[in-house]
Amino acid sequence: MRIPILKLRDYLLISVQVELDDKTALQFQEDVLSKIHEEGSRGVVIDLTSVEMIDSFIAKVLGDVVDMSNLMGAKVVLTGIQPPVAITLIDMGIMLEDVPTALDLEQGLDRLQLELEG
Amino acid sequence: MNANISHIIFKHKESIIDQWLEEIPKFRTEDSLQNITDAMYENTNREFVDKLLSTVKNQTNDHADLVPFTERLIQLGWPLNYITRGLQEFRKITVATLSKSETDYNDSIELLQEIENWIDEIVNLLVNEYSGSWENTVFLQKMALKELSAPLIPVVDKISVMPLIGTIDTERAKHIMENLLTGVIEHRAEVVLIDITGVPVVDTMVAHHIIQASEAVRLVGAKCILVGIRPEIAQTIVNLGINLNKFPTKSTLKKGIETALEMTKRQIVEMEG
Repeated sequence: MRIPILKLRDYLLISVQVELDDKTALQFQEDVLSKIHEEGSRGVVIDLTSVEMIDSFIAKVLGDVVDMSNLMGAKVVLTGIQPPVAITLIDMGIMLEDVPTALDLEQGLDRLQLELEG
Repeated sequence: MNANISHIIFKHKESIIDQWLEEIPKFRTEDSLQNITDAMYENTNREFVDKLLSTVKNQTNDHADLVPFTERLIQLGWPLNYITRGLQEFRKITVATLSKSETDYNDSIELLQEIENWIDEIVNLLVNEYSGSWENTVFLQKMALKELSAPLIPVVDKISVMPLIGTIDTERAKHIMENLLTGVIEHRAEVVLIDITGVPVVDTMVAHHIIQASEAVRLVGAKCILVGIRPEIAQTIVNLGINLNKFPTKSTLKKGIETALEMTKRQIVEMEG
């Protein structure tokens, strides 16, 4: 199971529509990084609106993806994190501290623009 | 109850009732039963003892016919304390009367056991009814409190306010967080102001809950501003060594709104002319 990664100009758009398991998440990590490398993208938006559950491993992978992409020069914004997901993450003590977030895809793109300009 | 024993108790009904009615007024305490008229007080006592004795006739230990009477007592606000002491007194009198007058049963453990069982069942029933009514009251109040506890108010586009009033415990904090997050999504808020003007004490636990809530808000993609920090709260926060640097804090809601407008790149302008 692979998660589709769409390219829009300088950005990559990823909408996660399935419940992530460990293998999918790792595959996803590799796919994103190689796509950034291929396209030379400057920004990535990962939309989690349809994700209803995130465990600690997936959270770590997401955090890693953000850090790794930043290393490769692409800013990442997480969007559409659902309230139950946010509560679980906080309860587990996973704050995703340096990860920019936004309410939805639209605001995520705005946020990305802001991050890239600033 | 053993038919023989119930017959004996019934035989001494009048004497038991009279003694009990003589004894019971000493439990009428200062505060709780003062606003009941004497006539009403005596009537209820008499009814109570009649009901008690009528349960003697029950063969089983099921005293369902006491329930409506108990409910009335609860509604009238008779304290459980008084009722249980009345029952204890009733048991004492019954045992004393019977052992005095029924010499056959003088040392009978059986008699004692029957009376114990009989009264215990009634005590259980009364306590159950009373605690049931208390639990019900507590539940209703909890619901009312919950409804009042954490409203998220959309003030202007993209800005919402959550005023918090009263102490925050773990359960309420959870409720606050849920309301906050669903509200943010529903109103599409970009900035949420949490107003703690009405929170009397901010200790480490309350601060922890607030920090968690604001982190969660950040995860769903909005920002939190903590407003309404009174001088004494600022002092406790610093004295306790709580770090609130992760999100902006302001002293009043007014300043918070100004900051929020700034963050969403807007401002309030006065109209000309």
